[in-house]
Amino acid sequence: MTTLTYLQAISSALRDEMRRDERVLMMGEDIGVFGGAFKVTDGLIDEFGADRVMDTPLAESGIIGTAIGAAVVGLRPVCEMQFSDFISCGFDQLVNVAGKMHYRQGLAVPITVRLPSGGGFSGGPFHSQNPEAWFMHSPGIKVVAPSTAEDAKGLLHAAIHDPNPVCYMEHKHLYRRVKGEVPDGVFETPFSARVARPGQDLVVITYGAMVHTALEATAELEDASIEVLDLRSLVPLDEEAILDSVARCSKVVVVDEANFTCAAGAQVAALIAEKGFEHLDGPVVRVATPDVPIPFSPPLEQAILPSVDRIREACRELLAY
Amino acid sequence: MSSSPTEPETASTLVDVTMPQMGVSVAEGTVVAWRFEIGDRIQADETICEISTDKIDTEVPSPVGGVLAEILVPVDTTVEVGTPLARIAVSGDVQPSGEPAPDAGPPASSDAAPPPSPEAVTPPTSVTPESGASGNGSPLAPARAASSRRYSPVVQRIAAEHNVDLEAVPGTGRGGRVRKQDVLGFIESGGAQAQEEPPMHIESPYRPDPAPAAQAGGQLSRMRRQIGEHMKRSLEVSATCTTWIEADMSRVETARKRLGVTALAFVARASIDALREFPALNSWMEGERYTQHSDVNLGIAVSLGDDGLIVPVIHKAHELSVEGLAARIRELARRARSRQLTPDEVRGGTFTITNPGQYGSIMATPIINQPQVAILDFEAVIKRAVVVTDDQGSDSIAIRPMTIFGLSWDHRALDGALSAQFLASVKRRLEDLTP
Repeated sequence: MTTLTYLQAISSALRDEMRRDERVLMMGEDIGVFGGAFKVTDGLIDEFGADRVMDTPLAESGIIGTAIGAAVVGLRPVCEMQFSDFISCGFDQLVNVAGKMHYRQGLAVPITVRLPSGGGFSGGPFHSQNPEAWFMHSPGIKVVAPSTAEDAKGLLHAAIHDPNPVCYMEHKHLYRRVKGEVPDGVFETPFSARVARPGQDLVVITYGAMVHTALEATAELEDASIEVLDLRSLVPLDEEAILDSVARCSKVVVVDEANFTCAAGAQVAALIAEKGFEHLDGPVVRVATPDVPIPFSPPLEQAILPSVDRIREACRELLAY
Repeated sequence: MSSSPTEPETASTLVDVTMPQMGVSVAEGTVVAWRFEIGDRIQADETICEISTDKIDTEVPSPVGGVLAEILVPVDTTVEVGTPLARIAVSGDVQPSGEPAPDAGPPASSDAAPPPSPEAVTPPTSVTPESGASGNGSPLAPARAASSRRYSPVVQRIAAEHNVDLEAVPGTGRGGRVRKQDVLGFIESGGAQAQEEPPMHIESPYRPDPAPAAQAGGQLSRMRRQIGEHMKRSLEVSATCTTWIEADMSRVETARKRLGVTALAFVARASIDALREFPALNSWMEGERYTQHSDVNLGIAVSLGDDGLIVPVIHKAHELSVEGLAARIRELARRARSRQLTPDEVRGGTFTITNPGQYGSIMATPIINQPQVAILDFEAVIKRAVVVTDDQGSDSIAIRPMTIFGLSWDHRALDGALSAQFLASVKRRLEDLTP
C-alpha cells in the first residue's frame, strides 16, 4: 500500500499498465513533453518514449478516431481529453463509431477515454462540465467515475482491461484534494457501487466529487443515520446496490454535480420509482446543478453547484417528511 | 341542509366531554363502556360513559344536556387526562343577526370544536337517513381528519404485512404524516394484531367430546382480570415464603370490647410498631431497586364480594391511634364497597394486612402486593386449650382466644430470621397490651 493523491493514483495506473502491457499507449494534447495540462502523464514520455506517449494535434475527433483504429487492430489506447468539455469535438467518433462497432461489425474497441471533468475552481463554461450523461444515453459505451484514490487506480486498470470503450470521468477538483491508501501494482475495481458510509434513515446516492460533499453534508445530521452510496460506475449502473440501499433507508436524495435534466441521477431516480416503489417513504429528492452553463464568477459558481448546505437541507427536509 | 334559512332559530354548539382527573397521581384512564350511542339524547349529569384507571372504575357525568354528536374514544382505549372523549351538541338560540347563517363552508373544519358547525347539530328527528341508520359508524367518518391521510408505499406495505390499522398509528412526519419509523415503532410496541400463524399441517379429524355445559361463566370481569394479573406477576417476580406464628389474643379481645373496635385495628397498630422496629419489611422491591420507607402506608385488603378485592391505603398510618386506625379502616371499607375510592387512595402502600378470618379459616399463604416485600395474614381468632405458665412457673391448661398470623415475605429482600423476629414483635405487642 502507498499513500497517493487521486492524481498520483491515475498516473500510477497508467505507468503500471504501460509497463505490464506493451499494447497500451497514450494519446492526447500536450501529454508528452509537457506532461499533460494537469501533469497526470508527467515523466511518462521519458520512460516509454514518444511512440507510446503521443502528443497529438488539437483535434479530439482525430485522437479518438485514431485510437479506435488502433484498438481494432489489437492495441489498447488510452486517450486524454485535456478537459472533458472538449469531448464534444470527438463525439461522433466515440458515439457513432466506437460505441456501435461491436454491434455493426462484431469488433471490440478496447479504448479508454480519460475525461478530466467537473467544476468548482472558476474554470468557466468550457472547462467545468460533467458530460457523463451524454454517454450513458449512447449504447455501447461504459462510464465510470471514481471518487477515491484507490478507486481512481482500480477503475482505470479495469477500464483499460475492458474490451469496450470506457469513458473514465476523473474529477479535476479531486486531483490533489483526495488522498488515500492505494494497493501497489495492478488491481481492478469492479464496475459496481460502494457504500461510502452505511446508514438506516436516508441514503444519498451520488458519485465522483459529490461523494465527498455528501459525506460532509451528512456527517452530523441530528441523530439521523445517513447512508452515502458511491455509484462508481454509471454504465453499467449497479441496480442491486441502489435498490438494496433504498430498501434499507426508504428515503433517497440523489445528488449530481451535472446539470439537472437527464443527469445520471435522473436515471437513478427513475430506476427507484420503477423498482423500489414499495420501499419508499417519501419522494425521491434530487439535488443537481441547475440547467445553466457553469459561470466563471466564483460566487456564482458556488451558488449553482450542489453545496454541503444544499444537500444537508434536502436531507433535513426529507427526514422530516 | 340544516343551515338553510328555514330553520335559523335552532343551532347548536359542541361541548367536549373530557377524561376527568381522578387523582393527582393519575395521568390517564381507559374507557370501559359507553352508555349512549350517537344521536341519543342525554341529560346533564347523566352518566355518559364508564372509565377506569388501573384499579378504580368510575363514571363520567355529562357536563351538559344535549345530543351525543361524536364518540371520539372507543371502548378499551386509554387516553390522557383532559383528552376529549365525546362531543355533545347543545341546542340553543342563534345570536340575533338579520342575515341567515352563512353556509358553513367545507365540512373539514368540523374537527375544530368551538365554532358551531351546523351538520353536527341536527337533532335526531332530522338526522339524514344515512347517518341516522348506523349507530356510531358513519357519523364519525367526516369528523376525523385522519381519513384524509395518505400513506407512502413502504408504510402501506409494512402495515399490510403486519396487519396494522394505519388509522391507529400516530404520525410524527410533516403534518402528522405517518412515517416508516412510526409504523415500525407502532409494531415494535405491540400495536399490531398478531398475525395468525398458518397451520403447519392438515388438522386432525379427531374432535374431543364437547365440554360439559357450564352453569355460569363468560368473560372475566375487568377487576378479576386485573387481580389475576397482579397476583400472577407477584408470584413471578418475588421469591415468596410464608412464616406463621401463634398469638394469644386475650388482651386484644378485652380491649377491643372496651373500645368497641375490631381486633384488626389492634393488629394494624401492632404491625405498624413492629414495622418501625424492622423497617426492612416496610419497603419496596422494584426490579433491582430496594427502597425502605419511613412512613408506614398501610394497605388493608377489602373484599368486594363476588366482584373481587381492593386494597385501600391508610397513608401515614403510624400517626394514628388504634381508634383512629379503626375509624379509617371502617371508612375506607365503606367507600370501597360503594365504589367511591379515588385512585390516590389505593396507591403508595408500603405494607398490607389481609383479614379474611370471619368465616373461621385459620391459615393462608397470602400473595405479596407488589412492589411491597411483605403481607400479613390475620385469620380467625379461635378459643383453644393452651398451656400457660403462671408467675410461679407452674404450667396449666387454659382456654385462650388464639390466632395464627401468617407473613408472606420476599426472600429477595430479606431472610427468614427477620420475618420471624417481626412476627414475634407483633405477637409480643398484642399479648403484652396494657388494657
